[in-house]
Amino acid sequence: MAVIFNDTRMRDRIQLVFSLGIFALVALLPAIVHNEYWQGVLIVSMYFAMLAAAWNLLAGYTGQFSLAPAAFGMIGAYVTGLLSYHFNAPPLVGIPAAVVVAAAIGFGLGRIVLRLRGPYLALTTLSFAEICRLVISNSIEITRGDLGLNVPGIFDHRLTWYYVMLGVLVVIQLGLYFLLRAPAGLYLRAIRDDEIAAASRGVKIVLWKTNAFTLSAAISGLAGALYGHFAQFVSPELGLLSQTGIIVSMVVIGGLATLPGPIGGAFLVYVASEFLRDFGGYQLIVFALLVIIFARFFREGLWGLFRRAIERTGRRPAPAPSAAE
Amino acid sequence: MACLSIDSVSKFFGGHKALDDVTFSVNEGELVGLIGPNGSGKTTLINILSGYLSADSGDVVLDGRPITGLRPEALARLGVLRMFQLTRVFPRMSVLDNLLVTGSALGLPEAEADGRARELIEDLALTRMMHLDAGQLSGGQRKLLEFGSCFMVPPRIALLDEPFAAVHPTMKEIMAGVIRRRHAAGQTFLLVSHDMPVIVELCPRAICMNAGAVIADEKTRAVLTDPVVIEAYLGEAAA
Amino acid sequence: MLLIDLTVNGLIIGLFYALMAIGLSLIFGILRIVNFAHGEFYMIGAYAYTLIALFFGISPWLTLPCAFIAGMALGWATERLLMRPLYSGYASWGVMKDEYAVIITFALSLLLINLVDKVIGPNGYRGPSLVATTRVEIGPFMASGHRLMAAGIALLVLIAVGLFVRYSYWGRQIQAVAQNRLGASLAGIDTAKASSIVFALSGGLAALAGALLSPIINATPDVGAFPAVKSYVIVVLGGMGSIPGAAVASLILGVLESFGAVYISYGYRDTFGLVILILVLLFRPHGLFGERSREV
Repeated sequence: MAVIFNDTRMRDRIQLVFSLGIFALVALLPAIVHNEYWQGVLIVSMYFAMLAAAWNLLAGYTGQFSLAPAAFGMIGAYVTGLLSYHFNAPPLVGIPAAVVVAAAIGFGLGRIVLRLRGPYLALTTLSFAEICRLVISNSIEITRGDLGLNVPGIFDHRLTWYYVMLGVLVVIQLGLYFLLRAPAGLYLRAIRDDEIAAASRGVKIVLWKTNAFTLSAAISGLAGALYGHFAQFVSPELGLLSQTGIIVSMVVIGGLATLPGPIGGAFLVYVASEFLRDFGGYQLIVFALLVIIFARFFREGLWGLFRRAIERTGRRPAPAPSAAE
Repeated sequence: MACLSIDSVSKFFGGHKALDDVTFSVNEGELVGLIGPNGSGKTTLINILSGYLSADSGDVVLDGRPITGLRPEALARLGVLRMFQLTRVFPRMSVLDNLLVTGSALGLPEAEADGRARELIEDLALTRMMHLDAGQLSGGQRKLLEFGSCFMVPPRIALLDEPFAAVHPTMKEIMAGVIRRRHAAGQTFLLVSHDMPVIVELCPRAICMNAGAVIADEKTRAVLTDPVVIEAYLGEAAA
Repeated sequence: MLLIDLTVNGLIIGLFYALMAIGLSLIFGILRIVNFAHGEFYMIGAYAYTLIALFFGISPWLTLPCAFIAGMALGWATERLLMRPLYSGYASWGVMKDEYAVIITFALSLLLINLVDKVIGPNGYRGPSLVATTRVEIGPFMASGHRLMAAGIALLVLIAVGLFVRYSYWGRQIQAVAQNRLGASLAGIDTAKASSIVFALSGGLAALAGALLSPIINATPDVGAFPAVKSYVIVVLGGMGSIPGAAVASLILGVLESFGAVYISYGYRDTFGLVILILVLLFRPHGLFGERSREV
């Protein structure tokens, strides 16, 4: 019954398997979805899934509820965009640069907010995000401001983009899985659960909080850079607070502090938002409402509901091979 | 040989003197009880010893090395492990993981940490809950878990802040048993408690504090019959 | 004279900021959370004031209290429906109550903005002026009649709130809960009710600010974003939970922005507050007036 989910290692493994299941499903979709527009929708969902996974690492697993995830996506997109616009740098240079710059800025932000918690942390990261956006918006000579930048593409075929993005997403997810299973995962969760106690047990708080910020920012920067080359356009709108709202919604609805939560949440929310767009643009209202309902009543999101449903039906994992063989 | 020396430590909170020139040493292998009425500064002292507060004056020396001003995590790695008066565990991590955190943070390789954690869980009679989230444990079980965390890597000194408060006698006995065994094996302890019978039973030496100052530091029996100590607890009339 | 003009204008804006910030400060004092939907209370006030006057042809003097009431109602509802988990024992968010508040008020903000955008429409509405005179001269200083009247109302309301919190029955209950929630409940104070009152008051004040400023800053769905950010800056600057701190910080920010917009940069005027916010949070996280709290 509850047996499968009570062993944390088992729990993580099941969550990984489920995530891989989602990926497999998404990988097969182009067989039915031939429409390029909808393939594009799925690709953008993958961008959001990366941002969601990154934010989940920071907020769900380390307890740092930053309101700056969209800002790091924007930073990544602009690094590669600016490098190509001003220096004709190829994506092979732009994308790694985006990751490095985003990581460095994430590191800096992490150091700055070390002593802050809860609302103070939220406010500081929110201000940081807004400042980033306003700076990019106002530096018209360098960034063309709100007009945005045109960014060169990489692949000619949309399907290539589809599988490349999916591949990157899989790698990120696997990376997160192994990170969370390692001692690092214990440290992050300990910091989330009780920072004071964690310190008393020898966990290097400063190091791991900073690492979480840096890694989260790096992943977001990568996502932003890839998106920039896909959409072939970047603008300060990438860093709007409402974009952070969408990312947070995806994670909360999917399931905070779970592996499949942000992934499933991203695909569900974004694809649904495209459907709802056809019906008159009620997306954000619906998602905001869902976030409120989930946060209020179902903290563990859809994954939590799914898990509880399984526990109630008493499904057991396949029995181990009999010892008397 | 002094394991931990506290030398003229004072601490002020605004105008209030919480610690007044506190001086004593704990020798290697000693099991020292720290008693005193509420508000006498015991927890403030523990907080200073474990790096959560800084002393306004005075020094703390561990194994000959000054440790004033070090962060809690650094002190933990030097072997100063503590319990909190209000139990602190990691509620969304399993009992096993709660112990593994300490093990890994203090440098144990994964396999070894795993082995030790399971042993400790056996000793603490928490085996049935090994995979439950710590948040699902009862108050007493959480205390046991927090207690256990102190011993994943044998500390230089274990600072136990009221481990027996509001705990079921069975669990109290489990903890006392662990303390007894480990003390016999040479573990150094500073044990804060209001539970006099346990202090008498476990600690050969006791220190009594009142209003931030040390008022007695001698054999436990002597401390408990010391008129100054009795006055501190019960007032002048009783002394 | 430009200096006097800038200063007085800054102070006037500061009064409106104070209406926004005091409510937020009260909420923080009592619940230790930041309400990220605060800007939307402002927005609702602006819309209520403007649309009721527009569609029913009623004098803005009557719709002003309507706006206040609308804000109070929204604040009350928010607290009753969404905030209970913060202090009732069954919070599934456990020790992460602060984070719960962040997420849920953030989502509420998104919900309200988009709801209004969808139901009423994205176009702005210009609020009716309270007074017809467009130009009033007081010595070297010139302002619109409405702006002066609004400033006067704001000042009166702020004083009333101050008196209420200081001397009234419920005001003192609120102070007690802000200082020690558990103790207050043990003393028989209905802490849930105190929270409701604070949220309602906060909503009402923000709505009032929105209404009073709507002739100057049109009512649009996202009009609440910038005053909200200003309130956060002020509340942090003045010390979370300190009313006098919030009041003083509001005036300071108003004047700073007034000068900054002219002397430094108009485009970046919104960033001053944000930078100040970060600096304060880093170096004086308890604000200029707030209290240090003991951790362990």
